[in-house]
Amino acid sequence: MNLRFLLLICLLGLGPSNAATDPQAVLKAVVDNQRGGSLQATLTLNITRPERQTQLVLEVASDGNERAITWVKAPPREAGQAFLRVGDNIQLYNPTLKRVLRLPPSGRSDSFLGSDLSYSDLAGRDLEQDFTPRVEAESDTEITLELLPRPQAPTPYGKLVLRASKPGFVPREVLYYDQRGQAVRKITFAQWAQVGGRSFPTQVTVEDLLRPGHRTQMVYSNYRFGLPIPESCFTVRALEAGC
Amino acid sequence: MTPKTTSAPALPRLAWRNIWRHRRRTWLLVLVVAYATITTILFWGVQDGFAQSVQVGNARFLSAPALITTPQYFEDPDPEQGLPSLDFLPRVEAQPGVKAAAPRLEFPALIRSAYTADAVRARGVDPLLEAKVSNLPGAIAQGRMLEQPGEVVLGQQLAERLDARLGERVVLDTSALAGPQALGLQVVGLVKSGIAPVDRGTVLVHIQDARVLTGLQTATGVALDVTRGQEARIAEALQPVLPENLRAYDLTQLLGGLSSAIGTKQSSTFLIGMIFSLFAALAVTSTVLVSVLERTREFGMMGAVGMTPPRLAAMVTLETVFATSLGWALGLVLGYALNYWMATQNVLGPVFASYGAAWEILGTGSEIYTAQSPLYALYAALTIALAALFSILIPARRVLALNPAEAMRTE
Repeated sequence: MNLRFLLLICLLGLGPSNAATDPQAVLKAVVDNQRGGSLQATLTLNITRPERQTQLVLEVASDGNERAITWVKAPPREAGQAFLRVGDNIQLYNPTLKRVLRLPPSGRSDSFLGSDLSYSDLAGRDLEQDFTPRVEAESDTEITLELLPRPQAPTPYGKLVLRASKPGFVPREVLYYDQRGQAVRKITFAQWAQVGGRSFPTQVTVEDLLRPGHRTQMVYSNYRFGLPIPESCFTVRALEAGC
Repeated sequence: MTPKTTSAPALPRLAWRNIWRHRRRTWLLVLVVAYATITTILFWGVQDGFAQSVQVGNARFLSAPALITTPQYFEDPDPEQGLPSLDFLPRVEAQPGVKAAAPRLEFPALIRSAYTADAVRARGVDPLLEAKVSNLPGAIAQGRMLEQPGEVVLGQQLAERLDARLGERVVLDTSALAGPQALGLQVVGLVKSGIAPVDRGTVLVHIQDARVLTGLQTATGVALDVTRGQEARIAEALQPVLPENLRAYDLTQLLGGLSSAIGTKQSSTFLIGMIFSLFAALAVTSTVLVSVLERTREFGMMGAVGMTPPRLAAMVTLETVFATSLGWALGLVLGYALNYWMATQNVLGPVFASYGAAWEILGTGSEIYTAQSPLYALYAALTIALAALFSILIPARRVLALNPAEAMRTE
């Protein structure tokens, strides 16, 4: 077998699946999958604690980008509350006070309706803006990215490890590590809906790894993608009156 | 025989000799007065030392000896009320009594670690200038002071609460003129001052980072280091060189209600301090009165040999003054020695700390020392003055009314 034939075999063996993967492009694809475009849906929040379990039902309308409005429908003691996010601004409507309050920076540490999500998470910045991705592992069916914070990125985490399935770079899991290498938080995605060629996770579970038994599961139902959302839905008036 | 009157110089010698004829009574008087003197010195030393601790804590850690800001910011400390410009700084620095001027940009923020978050009041500083107006850089127990943007110094207790270590990143979120902003900052230093509000709440960032976060391109105030004790005068003297919409506030104004409380406390403290002297003087007077009653026959004999009642009364008063002065002198030595010890050893810190959080809001540290002043000797001398006065009013008047013939017949 001559040298030229050997070289041909090697080249055929490499193939497109072994071409260098652009981690930035992968990360963009993952984030695009999470956005899914404009959305109206019912969101069920199941909050698990060692001593109890709580369920909330929310109605959500989002333009898939910088704006989203959420109304709490159940249980009765929480119903009537509403949240409007425009960019990094969050405003809350309290039905008891009948007032709209702007969430101050100090309030962003509070948990969202007692869940494992914080208000900071709701107005969280894009992964692409704050992290530099690197391919940690890759196979034919899956890819793992290691995301390291950019200098002065507003994130307290040391790194994120993102696992996505191929093809399509559908997000499966994100592990948040502190700056000492310990995993402190895990988000897993499941039950994907196909939306215009993208896979939107309709089930998202957030686990606090520092507190066993603390978990929040978000399940989207009655979802409609791509419908135009009226501008009036993203106004302060819509918090109380709906849209 | 012509009665021999006692000459004036002989009267003090006689009084001095008399007090040592009754040693036990004299030493009792001396000890009572010494005790009152020691108590007075320590009382004022603790009062002034505590007040100084509050002032130092606030002036050099929490606030500033003097601060230039807008009246609007003084009423509502929001970055939106910040300084319009810093052009006035050279004029201020040239003023007599102003040792240094440092711009500061303070703003409310949320600080986040990977584990928790907390509401704080961050202070943007120029690292080189801040050391001239504040003791915070000198109180950094671990790490170092800021050197460049992207860094943050935290109070040690705050860092513990966040579980943030040196070298790790924390996030500062705020919302001001620039809308919601956030920055990741590396922890480079931890402050341990012994002052609870400082150790629990200090967040120092570079003023450039503060400007990015708040959108304010100047500062919320300019902290001044001025000659100690001259804060009010210098603040007032600065007013003509400041732009119309700026004011210089001295520490008293910055402390607000706390300053009024301390002032009120000082006034009432003087009355309390007088009580020590009053009771000591009453104790001395009662002892002298007993002495006069016991020496009635002696006084009668002295009157019979020519000592007039006024001179007898003067002698009794002199005896009181001498015994009280001895006690005062002894009390000064012991009192100032004890005060010196408490001024150099942190005896009071643990005592006040045992009262818990009630004292922490005053800005005192864990180390509190007594103050020292020669004025305390004057305050303690009030005992002598009161004792002499009471002696004139009571025992000496009794002696004045003495009839020598009847007195000599007294058992």
